[in-house]
Amino acid sequence: MINWLLEPLAYGFLQRGLLAAVIVGVVCAVIGSYVVLRGMAFLGDALAHAILPGVALAYLLGANLTVGAFIAAIIVALLIGLFSRQGAVREDTAIGILFAAALSLGIAMISSVRTFAVDLSHILFGNVLGVSSADLYLAGGLGALVLLAVAVFYKPLLVISFDPVLAATLRWPAELFRHLLLVLLALTIVVSLQTVGVGLVAAMLVTPAATANLLTRRLPSMMAVAALIGALSAVIGLYLSYYLNIASGAAVVLVCTGCFLLAMLVAPGRGWLWQLRPRRT
Amino acid sequence: MKGRDIPASPARLELENVSASYNGRPALSGVTFQAPHGSQVAIVGPNGAGKSTLFKVLVGLLPLQSGHILIHGQPLGQHKDCVAYVPQREEVDWRFPVTVADVVMMGRYNRQGWFGRPSAADRAAVRRCLEQLAIADLADRSIGELSGGQQQRVFLARALTQEPHILLLDEPFTGVDATTQEATLDLLDALRQQGVTTLVSTHDLSLAARRFEYVLLLNREMVAFGPPAEALSARAIQTAFGGRVLFVDGVAVVDDCCR
Repeated sequence: MINWLLEPLAYGFLQRGLLAAVIVGVVCAVIGSYVVLRGMAFLGDALAHAILPGVALAYLLGANLTVGAFIAAIIVALLIGLFSRQGAVREDTAIGILFAAALSLGIAMISSVRTFAVDLSHILFGNVLGVSSADLYLAGGLGALVLLAVAVFYKPLLVISFDPVLAATLRWPAELFRHLLLVLLALTIVVSLQTVGVGLVAAMLVTPAATANLLTRRLPSMMAVAALIGALSAVIGLYLSYYLNIASGAAVVLVCTGCFLLAMLVAPGRGWLWQLRPRRT
Repeated sequence: MKGRDIPASPARLELENVSASYNGRPALSGVTFQAPHGSQVAIVGPNGAGKSTLFKVLVGLLPLQSGHILIHGQPLGQHKDCVAYVPQREEVDWRFPVTVADVVMMGRYNRQGWFGRPSAADRAAVRRCLEQLAIADLADRSIGELSGGQQQRVFLARALTQEPHILLLDEPFTGVDATTQEATLDLLDALRQQGVTTLVSTHDLSLAARRFEYVLLLNREMVAFGPPAEALSARAIQTAFGGRVLFVDGVAVVDDCCR
């Protein structure tokens, strides 16, 4: 059993992949708590796809892919805000339009360059085993920054999420904090790119947080449990990926989904089994 | 208490020809009144009359289209007095993972700022207000587990911990149990003693006439403002409620439940 656990760790690329996956699992789960509570799942998915043209352009220009991804995510987030302001278009419609447009633009750019072929699948589904030391430091640094911001701005972010009217009576700048949350979300997605890819980031944002929401009753404990589920799923998913020879990002997400189904079944008070139990009258 | 010794004049809350729109449509116009220090004003009108719009303007959530609002002589936005708002129950996300104590503590965020930790005084204020509204035993419960009346008392307790100078209550008597209604009325009496200026929107004309010093009658524009006997004249009620009002032996009966 010990050997079974230690064997993959003999490889440096697997150690780095494991660390990167745990970082992504934790950061996604914490920001994901706000994504779940504020109903931003679709926005998170859209931002993840919107980074594709940014990555492609950075690749063509020989620039840093992470910076390209981040800039693209910020631009799309701001455009969604612009389109849906004053109710000209509903927000989910604006997201739908921009999300497909950015994805198409990215694919169009990538399809024009033959050498992209291999990299495309890495962008879409991640390549956790290709994480370099530099990538790992960047992910660790940005992830720590996101977690620090969530801790420092805990009260304003709680107020704008739970009760925007209170933010108004306190005269706290709700717009500013809403945009801060969008930037943190964009950073999280960029950090996750290499591990789970564009296609599966949304699952890492939503699934652990939704699972924790079933099991806890306060926001700090929801974030802690979500982070634990995210990290555990990352580790278990990577071992499954190593031994069963399946795609790593998919394995991690499937473990998350398994945790969610288990919580749906047994969550005290809210799970299916709980609701089936005979009631004493 | 700090700030309670501000002189009663000029009037605590002055509105002059206030207009506002909601989602691009005009929702409220020509509202002019003065609520003196410590007075209690009932805001009455049919659904869609602009009661909630007026509150949203007062807390700064909707921009003023024209007119002026002065809070103790200072323009809205520059005022130093604390305005607290108790929302209608439908406006709150009851599935949000916060406990009763968490919500009531939010009333002290004004004192703590963005980064401060709750002080002993904050904790004491939270405990006192929970006890005042008889929900101290629910402190560690999720807000989603409570009954409608208990949920409302949580937000009343939060408003109290803010130690507001102006308190806005949006439909506090709609869809709550008798205990909560009684608790709310007791609270209004206590607030009167403390000199808190209170604005309450309600559908209940007779309650407005019995328990409030002033009544503001709205129907997308100001219909009347004054002591109940003046503001709730048969003609004013007819103007505000139109065809939905019936006079039976001089008593106004308003059909406002089905639209």
